Amino acid sequence: MTAVPIPLSDLRRRQPRFTGISPGHRACQGCGELLAARLVTEAAGPDVVVANATGCLEVTTTNWPDSAWRVPWIHSLFENTAAVASGIEAALKAQSRSSKVLAFAGDGGTFDIGFQALSGMIERGHNVLYVCYDNEAYMNTGVQRSGSTPVGAATTTSPAGKERLGKRHLKKDILSIIAAHYMPYAATATVAYPADLRHKVRRAIEVEGPTFLLVHSPCPQGWGHDGSRTVEVARLGVQSGLVPLIELERGAVTGVMPIREPRPVADYLKAQARFRHLFADSAEAARELQHLQALAEHNIERYGLSAPGPEAHDSEGADTVRRGGNQWA
Amino acid sequence: MSNKPRITPGGVAQAGAAMAYHTGSWRTQRPTHVHAIAPCHHACPAGEDPQAYLALLDEDRPREAWEALVAANPLPGVTGRVCPHFCESACNRSELDEAVAIHSVERFLGDEALAQGWAYPVDPPAADAPIVAAVGAGPAGLSFAYHALQLGWRARLFDALPEAGGVCRSAIPTYRLPRTVLDGEVERLLSLPGLEFQPHMRFGLDFDLQDLLQDHAGVFLGLGTQRPHPWDIGGAIPADLHNGLDLLKEWLDHGSIPSYRRVAVVGGGNTSVDLARVLKRAGAEHVYLVTHAALPNQGESPGDEMPALAREVAQALEEGVEILTHKGVHRLLLQGERVVGVEITHMKKLPDASGHAVRTAFEGTETVLPVDAVIPAVGEVIDPTGLEALLNGAPYLKTDQDGFAGHALVYAGGDMNGRSGTVTEAIGDGRRAAMALHARVRDVEAYAPLSPIAGWEQINPAYYEPSPRIQETVLPVAKRTGCAEIEPGPSAHQAHREAGRCLSCGMCLACDNCFTLCPDQAVLKSPENLEDGSRYVFDYDYCKGCGLCARECPCGFIQMIDEY
Repeated sequence: MTAVPIPLSDLRRRQPRFTGISPGHRACQGCGELLAARLVTEAAGPDVVVANATGCLEVTTTNWPDSAWRVPWIHSLFENTAAVASGIEAALKAQSRSSKVLAFAGDGGTFDIGFQALSGMIERGHNVLYVCYDNEAYMNTGVQRSGSTPVGAATTTSPAGKERLGKRHLKKDILSIIAAHYMPYAATATVAYPADLRHKVRRAIEVEGPTFLLVHSPCPQGWGHDGSRTVEVARLGVQSGLVPLIELERGAVTGVMPIREPRPVADYLKAQARFRHLFADSAEAARELQHLQALAEHNIERYGLSAPGPEAHDSEGADTVRRGGNQWA
Repeated sequence: MSNKPRITPGGVAQAGAAMAYHTGSWRTQRPTHVHAIAPCHHACPAGEDPQAYLALLDEDRPREAWEALVAANPLPGVTGRVCPHFCESACNRSELDEAVAIHSVERFLGDEALAQGWAYPVDPPAADAPIVAAVGAGPAGLSFAYHALQLGWRARLFDALPEAGGVCRSAIPTYRLPRTVLDGEVERLLSLPGLEFQPHMRFGLDFDLQDLLQDHAGVFLGLGTQRPHPWDIGGAIPADLHNGLDLLKEWLDHGSIPSYRRVAVVGGGNTSVDLARVLKRAGAEHVYLVTHAALPNQGESPGDEMPALAREVAQALEEGVEILTHKGVHRLLLQGERVVGVEITHMKKLPDASGHAVRTAFEGTETVLPVDAVIPAVGEVIDPTGLEALLNGAPYLKTDQDGFAGHALVYAGGDMNGRSGTVTEAIGDGRRAAMALHARVRDVEAYAPLSPIAGWEQINPAYYEPSPRIQETVLPVAKRTGCAEIEPGPSAHQAHREAGRCLSCGMCLACDNCFTLCPDQAVLKSPENLEDGSRYVFDYDYCKGCGLCARECPCGFIQMIDEY
């Protein structure tokens, strides 16, 4: 047994990081979204107000009368998070207060239901960081396909069977739509590269005006992988090219995480049951698999993700560990 | 949270109130810290834990690194130079790019200790502590005495020669092992309080086993193999026959060796290679090394390869030694009693009718090689004087793994036991014998088995960057004369760099992965190192047992175990 010099509750109060979401939340084992939200709130610090859309994050952290949140937090509806955040921001401004307003939503609340409110918030120039935790379906209500679900993925409303191989439609290119608002800062991140994620949160908070972060957050339940593999799956997403890590300012690409040696998309897909049907012995399955491979290659070409040589901040170097642990700093 | 309002207006909740709900009850498996044995540690015959000292050097604590090293091996400057690096052959890093150059770090720490005058971390034994005896002050005997002191005994060390060191002094050329290093480490060991060195004491002549057992609480025999293996060619022996080991000793003691123009050395072990190189340095035009085996790593099977170290063979070839592989001396060409040449044939070790491998010469392949001398270096056997009862006619002294020779409190190790052919193995024999003797007499646990082992499958390669192994500098052939050391050794910078390449197999390297990646904040960080060597604690009140930390632990320090 490990001898702990002080009681755990005291040790918890002396942790070298800010805790925005306490433990005791009811997210599933190995939840990628709670990991992402934990990392975002840690990086954002205590001087924030959070508006949260309906979704897994809201449901699992607030089993009334409990709350896991240790920062001011409000939930109203699925569709109006950006509007609520806009109102809070305007009220704080009127009171000459400088707390940063964060809007948290899932992909359903961002790509589909809350999209109009989000577009309005950006258009009005509110100083809000909007974070979309993208687990690529409506997980809270039982894995229904969303505008973010990638083509070929099976959900309860896009099942794989004789007629269809999962979802027929492409994943909505939300980042281009956001960028088209002449957006000061928009970026993608993932739970597999926490240092990169924290860097982007800090950058987005520095920027005055609306900013947007899309955080790829694997869902063990909905994607069909073991909870222990959440980070591994997220990392394969990046290394295959399907999940490009990029930064856009005023619509222009200003930063990418290069991929040292692209992994086959099949490595990423094989790790998840929602793509299992793509490995069936049929011409259709093989074609759909090649489709996803082509989408990954298209991302690599479109954003220039090929690394000319090994770099410290490419897909292999960015998560290198060091004795003493300063790589996530 | 007892004062928490259970019904609140407008859905207001207290900050962090969810902590009252312990999600740890969901768990079916729990993560635990398991310090698994690094493969290098498991592979080291001397019992070194390279992972431990590489970690300390990586933290820039060189003295503590050296102390961790000499906890097992008191002669790291010697082994860092002459050991075939069992550790590096086992290193997990070779799956990623190249094995960590552990021997370079070992050597650096050994040399640094000599330069800085660091003292062994050994407390002097009590003045009236019982005495154990070690016969033979080679690596096995020195190691036995050292570990006996560590365990609180006094030790008496006997040797027939005036100086301690054994084969390190009599058979390893100074260009591989400078005398300053050997003397430094041996003298530091001999000057330990509680250790008494008695030179000029020949076993079986000046004293015998009975004398020893009367005066000592236990006896360790590390006499080595002293007699050249008998050698002749069809009954013929040249009149001026010199034995390889004797010639090497002569060169090492006096710096002189008979000079030949063309000379054939017979054998394939380290002694034959060392001798061939020494003869080349002494000015021979042609030095032939005649071996029935293939070059290292080029044989049809490991049994078909020269037992000499590959690195040494490669350097011998660079220096112009001509190695005649798969050849054997068939006949001596004598003029009177003087050798004028040898007839060699193609030769291989092949199984005979009973399955034993025997040297087989092939008819019709005989070739005459004109030489002025032929020198056998075909191995050595025990000098049985005084050991007749223990040996019972066998060529080697049989012992168990701990070195117990099956007689009263007599242990043995090193070359004598017929299995340990290296300095490192001899050091390990001495160490295990001391621990086993201590355990037997004091009736305590001997030593814990080295398991489980952190194999490559425990490592998460995503978290490590490729990093080339240091290139060791080797003296150019033209400068390899006399005693100049061939490998100048690593710089401090290189040694630190190699320490940083260690994957830390099986032991926490404080990378923060578990602390950073737990979705439930069930991993807490402690400001001080904890008892298990890590800085992290699992808070099982909240750990849901997802296993993310175990999978993303780069070095296999976290293992999931069933809860029920």
